[in-house]
Amino acid sequence: MPSDVSRIYDAVDRLEVAMSYHRDRHSVLASNVAHLDTPGYRPLDLQRTPAPEATRPWLTNPAHQAGAAGGVEDRTVVDDGGALAGPDGNAVQLERELAKIDANRVRYGTSTELVSRRMALLRYAAGDGNS
Amino acid sequence: MDFFTAMEVSASGLSAQRTRMTVSSSNLANASTTRGVGGGPYQRRDVVLGSVPMNNGGLGVSGVAVQQIATDPNPPRLEYDPGHPDADVDGYVAYPNVNPVEEMVDMITASRAYEAGVTALSTAVSMAERALGIGR
Repeated sequence: MPSDVSRIYDAVDRLEVAMSYHRDRHSVLASNVAHLDTPGYRPLDLQRTPAPEATRPWLTNPAHQAGAAGGVEDRTVVDDGGALAGPDGNAVQLERELAKIDANRVRYGTSTELVSRRMALLRYAAGDGNS
Repeated sequence: MDFFTAMEVSASGLSAQRTRMTVSSSNLANASTTRGVGGGPYQRRDVVLGSVPMNNGGLGVSGVAVQQIATDPNPPRLEYDPGHPDADVDGYVAYPNVNPVEEMVDMITASRAYEAGVTALSTAVSMAERALGIGR
């Protein structure tokens, strides 16, 4: 169990993992859009599996769902093509990919906003409530 | 992996679509060319796209590249026009195997795919800007 002082940034660390996941997922989704006309291309997606319970010491209650910290989460690239494919074997659906890109951008924005607010809170505390 | 990977992937898609647009324009412009570069009527060209691996940290991300600009093997369109200087002994002129409708459809899909690529690219830019704004 880390000491209380070093846990100040736990939330930021967790958000950082979320941000890097959404950043990498954007690359995967952008690659799908770029392959709109590549014969035989199957679209990919990035799935994240939270770290096992034992590596999440900050969980004070098992019912809490926390994200992973420090790169311990597991990521897998999955085929997201479904059964439908064009005559050339390409299974990219443009609307689906653009919708996922937009949702991913919003999630990334949420994480950055939360990091900003967390930092503002820490700044406020460090400044003795004067900032 | 960073945002530049996403931007490079999107950029590769954009340049592939631009090539498709160029080739379609060339096909349309040469729809009546009876004297092509190698002699004989112009032959329709088609772009073949393929994946190229990117520096991706095991995520399976790949860019797009033009692998080949293939020549359409379909026979030329014959039109009876005995007065044409390129008419054969029977009076038929061999025109390129270009179908303008097909080219227009190709141009529309290339244009839509280009727009989608621009959207993905500008999303990567806006995400990077959000990250730069942390702590401001």
